[in-house]
Amino acid sequence: MSRCQAVARPLARQLRQQCAIRPFTTGAARAAAATEEVQQTSSSAAAQPSPLDLDPNSVLPEFESNLIKAGKMPIGSRRRRVAMRTTANLPFEQLPYQAFQEARAILAADRQEKVTKIQEELEKISLLEKKDASLVKGGQAMKDTKLASLRRYVEQLKIQADINDPLVKKRFEDGLGDMNKPIYRHYAERKWRSYDYRLITQRIKQFNIVPDVLPKLDPVADVQLYFRQAKIPPGEIVDSLISENPPRLRVQVFDKGPRLVSLVVLDSDVPDVEKDAFSKRCHFLAANISLSPSDTSLPLSRIRADDQLAVPWLPPTSQKGAPYHRLGIYLLEQKPDTKLDVAKLKELYASRDGFSLKSFRDKFSLTPVGFNMFRSVWDDNTAGVMARHGIAGADVEFRPTRVHSLKPPVKPRGWEAKRQGPAYRHLWKYTKRIKGLSNARGWTKRR
Amino acid sequence: MASSASITGLFSRLSLLSRNTTTTATMTTTTTPRLFSTTSTSLARKAPPPAAGGSAPKAARRSRQAPKSENFFRIRTLRRNMFSPAPPPLRMARLRYLRHWTIHRAWQLFRRKQHEAIEKERSRMHAGMYNACEELRKTVGPGSRGEGYLYRVAMEKKGVYGLEGVPIEYARFQTDSPAKEAWNHDWKR
Repeated sequence: MSRCQAVARPLARQLRQQCAIRPFTTGAARAAAATEEVQQTSSSAAAQPSPLDLDPNSVLPEFESNLIKAGKMPIGSRRRRVAMRTTANLPFEQLPYQAFQEARAILAADRQEKVTKIQEELEKISLLEKKDASLVKGGQAMKDTKLASLRRYVEQLKIQADINDPLVKKRFEDGLGDMNKPIYRHYAERKWRSYDYRLITQRIKQFNIVPDVLPKLDPVADVQLYFRQAKIPPGEIVDSLISENPPRLRVQVFDKGPRLVSLVVLDSDVPDVEKDAFSKRCHFLAANISLSPSDTSLPLSRIRADDQLAVPWLPPTSQKGAPYHRLGIYLLEQKPDTKLDVAKLKELYASRDGFSLKSFRDKFSLTPVGFNMFRSVWDDNTAGVMARHGIAGADVEFRPTRVHSLKPPVKPRGWEAKRQGPAYRHLWKYTKRIKGLSNARGWTKRR
Repeated sequence: MASSASITGLFSRLSLLSRNTTTTATMTTTTTPRLFSTTSTSLARKAPPPAAGGSAPKAARRSRQAPKSENFFRIRTLRRNMFSPAPPPLRMARLRYLRHWTIHRAWQLFRRKQHEAIEKERSRMHAGMYNACEELRKTVGPGSRGEGYLYRVAMEKKGVYGLEGVPIEYARFQTDSPAKEAWNHDWKR
């Protein structure tokens, strides 16, 4: 027996015993099979490599050379490999690491504490709800405040109870988290706030969305933009051929329950030649879209229902020579359980030009919750897109108007310019190079 | 020679116990009893002759090393750690990291609970002392003493700064800025 086997034997023995005690039937049975195999290999004096010996994770030292010849290097220490033979089938939380198990015990006790606390708070809430408002000190207002703060505390406790669970963390990292549960929503929000939220707020600031379109905009939901399965980072310039078809949104809200939202896609840089200014144009408008934390996909092309779609998708286009157009995607939450009248919306916003998001928000008492944006400029495909959709203006090219300087013209300066007079006749052969007027080859300024 | 020396040492030590009674045959009696040295006086190490040519380099080598201060080892540790790079980041595979995270969270939780328990116990003790003092302050003292006598006595700080001591702050005038001469080393009583 090699030395490392001798080292690993007590460990393996312990592991086997634990496996036998453990109530997990599948794991124990497989582990027992593995131990039999191990015994067989040791008795038959390293004759036949078992399938475990062909795996670089669990190869025994006597079969290492075979594996290396086959081009696979054994992974980890020999001690670890022997341990892996019996513990490969254990679920993660059962792994026999002492500190890990102790830690899990501590965390489980803490969770139990939190759960009992939640139950106490829920009892308090039910008692308070039954109580008449006249008996509560402070009346109905105080009762509502107390109930709200108790509920908030319960939500907090729900998150606190699960936040130390390694399996929950693992499941969230795998993307398998159930967004109807507060802990996964908490993790998702934390992740969003750590980067994407900052990026979106930066775009809002640097593209001047806040004074131009809305007086105030602080997104609380994650809105991601996809054109043809490709994720578009906020603020990207999108080819007009790609943006011809409506995008798909991935909307993740972080508070529980279904809600109705309305969606606006707004071009805030339409050049207005008469007024020598820029105006706004609505490219898409839909209302009464139901959203919840668990259903996140929102393809604009699927919104066709009569009580949802108010203004259909108009491909964003630009004109030659005009600056880039900011196409903002605004998600506005409607008041709970109130539907907007889409017929009225259709009537109001049938002509897309001059759409004001602020007045839309105020008229229907909406709150903006999500934002994303992309840009569009004149490119090779824009003329085709405009022709296909009957949008006028493809033959127009904007040119910047020349703005002359208000400063008075400056006299020529410098050593040469000072010595042009007859007093310096003897220097004239050296004073031909005046900046802006002449150079060595002669007079350059047109007269 | 060695054996005789040890015997003489033995006898010399014996001579301490019973003075003037024993005389050795091998050696003449020593008038002054030597305590801890077993060698005879003729072999004893003599003091080096002052300023001899041979002993000069030895003295120089010894004096080259500066005397170590009492904080030498602490200073050495600080020096070593001052410019050392940060420890490398922990590199772990996914499940390993998850286990590490679990243990870390449990450890943080445990520490927090410990701190909270300590804090609670301390505030409890402080509140107890406060209540006791309040009770003392309200009592009308033993015999003809007035209200709060016991409290005043309890608040006396006799012996807090040592027996018959005064706090060091009162040893000199309280000033806004430190003295020009921080400590007068030449002062003698």
